[in-house]
Amino acid sequence: MSQLQAAIFGALSGSLFALMALGLSLVWGFLKIINLAHFAMILLGAYLTFELATTTGMDPILTLVVSVPAMFCFGGLVQMGFDRFEVSEFNSLLVSYGVLIVTVQVVSNIWTADFQRMDPAVNPYAVQSVSLGPLVFPLPTLIAGIFAASLVIVGQLILERTYVGRAVHAFGQDRQIASAFGIDHRKLGVLLAGAAGATAAVAGMLFSLGESLNPDAPFEWVGRVFAVVILGGIGNVTGTLYAGLLVGAISGVTAVVWSPSASPFVVFTMVVLALVFRPTGLFPQKAGH
Amino acid sequence: MARDRGWIGLLATAVALAVVPFLQEALDFASFYLVFLSGILFWTAQATSWNILSGYSGYFSFGQGAFYGVGVYSMAVLFGRHEVDWLVAIVAGGVLSMLLALAIGTIAFRLRSLRGEIFALLTLAVPFILAAVVRLSDTIDGGQGIVVPVPAFPEALGSFQSFFFVCSAVVGIAAVAIAYVMARTRYGWALFAIRDDEVVAEGLGVPTFRHKMIAIATTGLIGGASGAILALNLGFVSVEGTFSLRVPLFVIVMSVLGGRNHWAGPMVGAVYIHTLQNRLADSAYAGWSLIALGVILVLLVLLAPEGLMARFSARPRTVVAAFVATLLALGLWGGWGEPVDWLAAALAAAAVVGFLPGARRAALRPRPADEVGEAEPALTDEPMTAGVASRTLVATGDLTKAFGGVGALRGVSLTVSEGELVGLVGPNGSGKTTLVNLISGAFAPTSGTITFNGADVVGLPPHRIAHLGIARTYQIPRPFHTLTVKDNVAVALVFGRRPHSLREARRAADEYLALVGLSHLTHQLPGQVNLHERQLLEMARAMATRPEVLLLDEALAGLNPVEVDNAVAVVRRIHESGVAIVFVEHLLRVVRQLATRIVVLDQGVQLAGGDPEIVMSDPAVISAYLGREGHARSD
Amino acid sequence: MLEVTDLDVFYGDAQALWGVSVSVGEAEVVSIVGSNGAGKSTLINALMGILPARRGRIMLHNTDIIDLPGHRVCRLGVAIVPEGRRLFPALTVADNLDVGAFNAEARSRRGESRERVHALFPRLSERRGQLAGSLSGGEQQMLAIGRALMARPRLLLMDEPSLGLAPVVVDEVFDVIETVREGGVSVLLVEQNVTRALEISSRAYLLAEGRIVMEGDAAALAESPEIRRALLGV
Repeated sequence: MSQLQAAIFGALSGSLFALMALGLSLVWGFLKIINLAHFAMILLGAYLTFELATTTGMDPILTLVVSVPAMFCFGGLVQMGFDRFEVSEFNSLLVSYGVLIVTVQVVSNIWTADFQRMDPAVNPYAVQSVSLGPLVFPLPTLIAGIFAASLVIVGQLILERTYVGRAVHAFGQDRQIASAFGIDHRKLGVLLAGAAGATAAVAGMLFSLGESLNPDAPFEWVGRVFAVVILGGIGNVTGTLYAGLLVGAISGVTAVVWSPSASPFVVFTMVVLALVFRPTGLFPQKAGH
Repeated sequence: MARDRGWIGLLATAVALAVVPFLQEALDFASFYLVFLSGILFWTAQATSWNILSGYSGYFSFGQGAFYGVGVYSMAVLFGRHEVDWLVAIVAGGVLSMLLALAIGTIAFRLRSLRGEIFALLTLAVPFILAAVVRLSDTIDGGQGIVVPVPAFPEALGSFQSFFFVCSAVVGIAAVAIAYVMARTRYGWALFAIRDDEVVAEGLGVPTFRHKMIAIATTGLIGGASGAILALNLGFVSVEGTFSLRVPLFVIVMSVLGGRNHWAGPMVGAVYIHTLQNRLADSAYAGWSLIALGVILVLLVLLAPEGLMARFSARPRTVVAAFVATLLALGLWGGWGEPVDWLAAALAAAAVVGFLPGARRAALRPRPADEVGEAEPALTDEPMTAGVASRTLVATGDLTKAFGGVGALRGVSLTVSEGELVGLVGPNGSGKTTLVNLISGAFAPTSGTITFNGADVVGLPPHRIAHLGIARTYQIPRPFHTLTVKDNVAVALVFGRRPHSLREARRAADEYLALVGLSHLTHQLPGQVNLHERQLLEMARAMATRPEVLLLDEALAGLNPVEVDNAVAVVRRIHESGVAIVFVEHLLRVVRQLATRIVVLDQGVQLAGGDPEIVMSDPAVISAYLGREGHARSD
Repeated sequence: MLEVTDLDVFYGDAQALWGVSVSVGEAEVVSIVGSNGAGKSTLINALMGILPARRGRIMLHNTDIIDLPGHRVCRLGVAIVPEGRRLFPALTVADNLDVGAFNAEARSRRGESRERVHALFPRLSERRGQLAGSLSGGEQQMLAIGRALMARPRLLLMDEPSLGLAPVVVDEVFDVIETVREGGVSVLLVEQNVTRALEISSRAYLLAEGRIVMEGDAAALAESPEIRRALLGV
């Protein structure tokens, strides 16, 4: 595979991780909660897609109709739990870790620990690919890229152009005063967390389009997703996308030039360096608009 | 905190464990029990070592798998591949892991901006990097895994299981012993102080970087040695198995369950979780073990974050009685299950008893504000030099501090001399607290000089400034909330200008508590005393660093008139003991009572200074306080 | 319109206010003066619902709001200009104003409110797209007031508006307060600058160490030597 192909393919794959990172980053940035259960929602979204498509023959993408509302509720419920117990930013890490572990085990109990993959009869996307000039891309990867970019754009528009978005920003900057002007932190929190859950469902669906599922998958995602969150800047929507593309591209090129096992090493070295030199992320948000 | 009987229990356990392998032959019980106990000892070592860093110092790590993994692979590569002596391999595992820990610490602890959560996530990443390196490198693993053959063990031990048990026991007991010793010496105290409030600890003279490095190095050493030993039992190591999230998860749950503040907490947690795991694995509920673990973690953090040991310490006899009674009852009856089942039941009984409502560790309500303690006369340690030409202690020259574009302090030059009680006053936002922060080294000035006894102190870290002789209190008291009132003061003595041993420090602490009138509260926790008492504690603790200059930042905030009078008396006593004081205060009647000299700041600039009566009659000062009149109004 | 009776406020276990009773009528400016640490900001935050630990009665238009959470209070027509401004620094001037009108009643009349605010603060309308964090102190204060006005309040709680501002700017701010009052809005003003505060108010209260120790007609208080004594600690 040429380096260019590797880079672009990597970037497209990276966009999936950007989508995974998006919800996590938003909740962390605005609600000051580090929700490892986000990965549980991605996992559940993936398995829901798998199950629905396999048993009812539904088009995998259409399963979003079920999985998105389901994960919206899951995310909202978890947030309500955090609120009710007034969990600190730090303890949220521990508690959500527990939720993640439980979910992984439940998934394993229901679907077994074996790798599962949607049958091509059910998932026509998996076997197709698209040629753009000399470059060839598997269809699932392209679809992932399109979804990721679209959701990021939509998210950015909502945050920057709508009233609710402005309220979210205000809330993130000064919670008390935002509350004094009528912004209900409970409702807002649940809304944001639910939205994060929705993006998780989409990410899960996209993952299941192209990959085999196994219950331990979240632990493979965690590292890369956090790399994207930190490199993109916590709470920075477009930054997350750019970071995802960057991480993906670098991983892809490293795999070709050096070795596939070296990719994580390179990525995490980047993260460590970013934490040392640029803790607010590589893509600072533009001032004003 | 643990009473001195802890070491007895530890010694007894060690002896009992040492005897077990020999008992096996004599009593002929299944080697299953050796394996079971070995498991507990392994987890004890891992969880205890994790707790030394994360529980004691508060720097939460998700990366225990890294240290464990280095240990495992050291054994696998050195002994498994290159036939290096297994004992050497264990040592190598510990040392290499320790070096990794030091490397992580050097990066992470140097960064002041590294908040707790970022550190935790950083440690989450380290095992991934290691896994990648190990998988990548053919000299290490190359993705194939490594076989670890059975070592040649001393014949006296009889079986491999006994040998493995002995090794596990040695490391397990050593880990707990180290944790025990640390908790009772300055190392542990430094870590507790860091956990409770690192900034304040720095300001009292605790060398935080050094102690954090010691903590993480210890974690690495024990985690690595323990991992190396386990590798002997695994027989075959692989990247996926070694660097999974199992070890990091288990040590966290075990320590949180057992209690992160206590040296025996992780051990207790290890016993509980390993027993639970063991029973679940055997039963029809094998698939539920992780679910149980996850649920336990969630419930613990939400409802009982302090863990089991805190509960057990509140009613030790009842708990032990419940445990023993259940064990004996089931054992004598013999009609249900096996010994490990009885153990599980006994543990459950103990936990239930521990969590019963009622005798919580004396959670006293804060006492009403009117009750104020009796105080004793001043320390006559260093008598005040009356009337002698006093030397200048602190001198600032054209001191300026700007935050962003806002000039909080602009060109302030003042001095504080021996024997003075300087009142620092001014309207809100005039820069008073900024000045205190600059002098104490909390942050650096934008420009200007600060000297202490003639030496330049700008840029020195706060603990060095504390050692030179400047101490400060905070307007909102910041005590170490997990240490008693006495120990709060003792910490300052241990790490202050004239380092004390712990015992000396505890004794000397009594004097300082008497100075401020808190002698009757020595064994309370800060959360159990009221605001006034906490402010007095601030003063006692600051005084315990034996400063020459004490900076009091609004020490009277939020007090009622009775408390104010008492606090004023205490400040006077402190002054009489020979300490120069700069106090920031809004209550002007108090300032007039106390101050030998007043400095007035307004909008970052020094407006006036001198004798209190004269200064407070200065029209410029009055107008700064009452406000300038508006432009002509056409009413 | 605002009747506070016997208010106790706590920070954790520390009591900050004891039995405070104040009242504000329609379209009048009432000042709370006192030295720092007296509890002035605490009172404002408690009234706005930002501080939860309270005891007593806060009657706003005959509704007791003491148990209302912060985000509900503004719906009843109360808005705050916090101490130190506390704008949303990474939002623009225009966005800060918009957030001010977040509550339902104000939102529908946003356009109208915006016009009024721009008329009152022409400099702000010039800087609509500028980040709030980059404004000067005086402009920030104007924006904070404008943000509060966007909520269409009938009672404005102002916490130390003169803090950190140059005298000329303070003049402007107090002119604005007068204009706001003329528009029918009541103002409860907490100020360290006693002279100015008393100039502009009809009535005033002196708060010391968490208790009301003096109250009355503002002009009379301004003359009295007691105020001076209380504040200068004579």
